Amino acid sequence: MRESILSVGIDIGTSTTQLIFSRIILENKASGASVPRIQIVGKEIIYRSRIYFTPLLSQSEIDTDGVMRIIKQEYKSAGLLPEEIGTGAVIITGETARKENAAQLLQKLSGFAGDFVVATAGPDLEAILAGKGAGAEQISKDKNCTVMNLDIGGGTTNIAVFNNGEVIDTTCLDIGGRLIRFNRHTGKTDYVSPKIKKLADEMELNIGSDRKAEITHLKTITRRMSAILEEAVGLREKTPEFRMILTTRELRRNYSVDFVTFSGGVADYIYDKNEYDLFRYGDIGILLAQAVKESRLMTMFTITKPLETLNATVVGAGSYSMEISGSTITFTQDVFPLKNIPIIKMTPSEEQLDGGSFVGKIREKVRWFYLDDKSVQLVAIAIKGIENPTFLRVRQIAERIISGMEVITQQHPLLIVVVEHDMAKVLGQTLYRLLEYKKEVVCIDDIKVDNGDYIDIGKPLANNRVVPVVVKTLVFNS
Amino acid sequence: MISEKELKSVIEQVLEELGMASEKNKLNNSQDLASQKDEESQVSDEGLLDITEVDLKKQVLVPDPENLEGLLKIKETTPARIGVWRAGPRYKTETLLRFRADHAVAMDAVFTDVSEELLSEMDLFSIQTMCNNKDEYLTRPDLGRKFGEEALQVVKNSCVKNPQVQIYVSDGLSSTAIDANIRDILPAIMQGLEGYGVKAGTPFFVKYGRVPAMDVISETTGAEVTCVLIGERPGLATGESMSAYMAYKATVNMPEARRTVVSNIHKGGTAAVEAGAHIAHVLKQMLDKKASGLDLKM
Repeated sequence: MRESILSVGIDIGTSTTQLIFSRIILENKASGASVPRIQIVGKEIIYRSRIYFTPLLSQSEIDTDGVMRIIKQEYKSAGLLPEEIGTGAVIITGETARKENAAQLLQKLSGFAGDFVVATAGPDLEAILAGKGAGAEQISKDKNCTVMNLDIGGGTTNIAVFNNGEVIDTTCLDIGGRLIRFNRHTGKTDYVSPKIKKLADEMELNIGSDRKAEITHLKTITRRMSAILEEAVGLREKTPEFRMILTTRELRRNYSVDFVTFSGGVADYIYDKNEYDLFRYGDIGILLAQAVKESRLMTMFTITKPLETLNATVVGAGSYSMEISGSTITFTQDVFPLKNIPIIKMTPSEEQLDGGSFVGKIREKVRWFYLDDKSVQLVAIAIKGIENPTFLRVRQIAERIISGMEVITQQHPLLIVVVEHDMAKVLGQTLYRLLEYKKEVVCIDDIKVDNGDYIDIGKPLANNRVVPVVVKTLVFNS
Repeated sequence: MISEKELKSVIEQVLEELGMASEKNKLNNSQDLASQKDEESQVSDEGLLDITEVDLKKQVLVPDPENLEGLLKIKETTPARIGVWRAGPRYKTETLLRFRADHAVAMDAVFTDVSEELLSEMDLFSIQTMCNNKDEYLTRPDLGRKFGEEALQVVKNSCVKNPQVQIYVSDGLSSTAIDANIRDILPAIMQGLEGYGVKAGTPFFVKYGRVPAMDVISETTGAEVTCVLIGERPGLATGESMSAYMAYKATVNMPEARRTVVSNIHKGGTAAVEAGAHIAHVLKQMLDKKASGLDLKM
């Protein structure tokens, strides 16, 4: 029995805006005689929009109406209505995300795009989605190795590292192809991002607005930008400027990298060997690509070309933002979609604690989410759980969760539990009974989350067997 | 089954017929040696590893594999004996011993009985099909699905009449499966049903039961839905696998297609507690849709 769900990816980047629609196919992979196991068996991109320049009102303001017009037009061209879209993600990347009216745009979009289209929550998730969209995750899985993807866009470089199909590291830097732009007619510099300006000033390079920049200076600055990427991945001593350019936590680098892939707008010119008009886009993108091409990145790592380059982020948003829960779960009421639920995650060692201490740990973490003296935000508790628990052990875990989450259930009509191991149905039923059927319970499994993550849970699929889940990872940020 | 004594006399007879009477003494001697060895091994038994404890999915016998991680990844997906290497064209001793040990586990699963302690712990009374012993159970499948009048009278006297769901437990081909799973699955099902507001009848145990015995139980109790938790024919991967067969208003001689089954309940398959919660859900669906087996669209 197959079932499909339509997903949209919208990427509003520093320089370009794109959309894709994809069809995500679900199927029960278990035999009829077994407990069901619904899985995502295929993803197929059914429509790709044109690539638009992101409409801006000024250097720091997105033209929200302009963006909405593009998006509405593309839904129409694809022949799809917002109601038909089951899931997806909107990404406002790079410098654009720091633009003043990004929040306003997101609000307009979430009203239009579809019920369960989520707004992403920061550069780490974007790095992950770009890496997945590029296909770096798949390469790491197929070849059983570690792959680092550098998504070099207009405003930022998002780096994600995958080992055997799992994300193990991310970081983000303000390095991009459109951080210096030129007027195509006069050749004068139109825009220099503040951070790059600072970098140039420190190097005593004459790069600034309304001046014609010398090509040698531009080559020097792009080489420096490329060197900062080398610093980020551990090929060069870190300089003070690296800290300035870094926007999140730096890479952990406690692993060795087998392959490096590049995606994003700049990537095509890293892989392409042809000579071009260096300023055909009126920015430093091609120069930056050349600098990367001559960098240690190319000699110290084995480089491979991913499936998607320019479209990696939008494909990631459209095809890889959603995962599905395990197929035996509990929800006592259709309370979906649930959006932006913060996670409190119990560590495996905390799960080993005796009853009282475990409950204490939960309460301690719940306290982080007090809005004032009295009221507390609705949070979900996440545990790893046990592979083959006894019924008594399940009841024990349920009792402890209820006790630890008491404040939540006193103030909210709902208890949300996320488990890694396959035990959500029995745990959910146990919680429901212990709560005397007075509170609603949502208990899902086969989902990995961490402290600092937020999750969105959508309407049930496949005959109410599974729910779509979007995990908004912020974990690598903390 | 042939006892050891009988086996010995058969071998002696064969040897004599072959004119190898002198070998007879040797056989006796080796027997003595074997019993001597037994005594010795009893002393040193503590240090011996139970080879069935080794997790086959993690055991690689290939010396110096080209890609160990890759092999382990493949092995993780199957209990089949892959990556076991060889000695010439044959299995290695370890593989052969493990194979025979697993076979012995399977034999034990069939030939042991579910313990009385477990039944009283779970508060299950016991009835028996028309089979009188394991051999009859194995050789006469027809008797394993029938009951004497007396046994049915016990059910009538002890069970709630016309329950929404009647659950019972049966040894089937693996008593080990019942031992391993019933403590966890039965309370999980009962709890799930309670949550769905479904009234379950009085559970009990059927010795020497085949799956279609549930049809007789269904007719006797008048249950709307009947569910038997029964030991599966053991294989070389596990002897602990259990199934739940369920049917809406089961009747004797109904088509097999009316049964719904949840199989593969064991620690390497679906965990008993989670399976129990799922079974409760399936039973609820059967009551709601008044159907089971192929008629039940889920």
